[in-house]
Amino acid sequence: MRLSILFALLVAMASLARAEPASPLAFERGSWAKLRASHTGQATVIHFWGLTCGPCLVELPHWGKLRQQRPDLKLVLIAADPLPQDPDRVSATLEKAGLAGSESWSFTDRFYERLRYEIDPAWAGELPRTVMIDAKGAATVLPGVADLAQVRAWLDTQRNSSP
Amino acid sequence: MRLLLALAALVLSGSAAVAQHQHGKPGSTPEAFTAAPAFAPDGTLWLARPIGDRIAVLRSTDLGKTFTAPVMVTPEPMNLDWGPDARARIAVDSKGSLVVTFGIFQDKNFNGRALFARSSDGGATFTRPRPITADTTSQRFEIAGIDPDGRAFATWLDKRNVAKARVAGKPYAGAALAYAWEDDGAAFGKTDIALDNTCECCRLGLAFAGPGRPVIAFRNIFPGSVRDHAVITFKNASTPGPLSRVSVDDWKIEACPHHGPGLAVAPDGSQHVAWFTDGNVRKGLFYARAASADVAFGPPRALSSPDRQPARPYLLAEGRAVHLVWKEFDGTKALVRWQVSNDSGVTWSQARTVADTDDASDHPLLVGHAGRAYLSWLTRSQGYRLIPLEDQP
Repeated sequence: MRLSILFALLVAMASLARAEPASPLAFERGSWAKLRASHTGQATVIHFWGLTCGPCLVELPHWGKLRQQRPDLKLVLIAADPLPQDPDRVSATLEKAGLAGSESWSFTDRFYERLRYEIDPAWAGELPRTVMIDAKGAATVLPGVADLAQVRAWLDTQRNSSP
Repeated sequence: MRLLLALAALVLSGSAAVAQHQHGKPGSTPEAFTAAPAFAPDGTLWLARPIGDRIAVLRSTDLGKTFTAPVMVTPEPMNLDWGPDARARIAVDSKGSLVVTFGIFQDKNFNGRALFARSSDGGATFTRPRPITADTTSQRFEIAGIDPDGRAFATWLDKRNVAKARVAGKPYAGAALAYAWEDDGAAFGKTDIALDNTCECCRLGLAFAGPGRPVIAFRNIFPGSVRDHAVITFKNASTPGPLSRVSVDDWKIEACPHHGPGLAVAPDGSQHVAWFTDGNVRKGLFYARAASADVAFGPPRALSSPDRQPARPYLLAEGRAVHLVWKEFDGTKALVRWQVSNDSGVTWSQARTVADTDDASDHPLLVGHAGRAYLSWLTRSQGYRLIPLEDQP
């Protein structure tokens, strides 16, 4: 058993030495409150996606393009797979979609009922899902693949209403 | 011996962190966290469980209090299907022979292969795992059951017709519901397709209406990408009956809900289904019954409230009772809620919490023996538990 711990440590050190895209932040119990607090007063779009969600992978590059077109888009990505996924694959997938450098989180707690409950008790876990939160904290939920025209219109409203 | 004891301890403690180092680095591959039970005719409880990247079988002769050391069904490590609605399963026939089914991933696109292994020596040894079907395209969500005549039947979601459609340049939504009967006690025979265009990512419910008459509950794809539930009752071993829609929920979704139904068929022929939906018509967890295979399902009854994340329903007909459990979340703990009906699902007891846990857990399952029903539940914190359900007839 001790040998395998040593082995795991060695492997972990080896992977640190490699140059890889930044790992997603670990989304665990309490993370939602922290995330919300760090964006207080800031219009933010939070996009939930997953490596195990086919339509999400099709949708991601569109978010990549939107982010390029709209510097006013404060985008947060949360990989919310029902089982925690390989952080390297999460980062690599985002990078490929043109989303490297966005604030990125990944579910790491297998007790994912609890993570979802903290975010929205009525969310049963379907992906993709987008939550747009304005500067006053009011949330608009877009279940499923988001209509990006709606996101653009929302961004326009935020820009016009900002002081 | 010490290795065996360590393995047994890990299995019983509910830890699944073994063998991660075989994948190169911790967390690089998600691991299945499931335990599927079956009772043998003599009251022995069998469990099929993944341990790291292998499938093991364990046996208990004291109703789950203690288990024998695990017997490995898969000699080598395999890329096991860890999908949230997939699981290794075990079925026991009337002579005590065991059939274990499980899925592996063939690639990173979730194309699977459904395998089975048999034991005819009381679980001491198993045949090498073999594919349930010859086609190599993709199979997932396999489930096997033993019909009242003792013949093993397997059904699964199969993508062979997706591949054919692609070659022909035609669209094909979802997967096909495939099945095969065991032909000589050693292998599954010819594969047939019962139905095309079912949802491709949800577990199936299986029960029997009589010898040679499987009943399968599944999430179907209705026109417009509506993923609502349906039941098929076989007229005979090779004739799947017409599709019976359980409910019109109108859940239009182009994605995978990873959330399949529970099914029970009572001795009086009544059919019982529980399911999750996020449809335009209703959202949450529901139950409905049909008085027989030939009549429509009655109105859906809501189980719990959608803001408690009700999920993973499971049904069992045992003796004269029909039992129903599901999982929900109260803000701190995951609870297993239980209802029982003694009149074939017409009226039900008040829902009661029969178990809870404060960390991750498998789906709650039901298993019955000699007229008694038990909750079978694997949790991170408490390990595996077999909990007798009280107030039985």
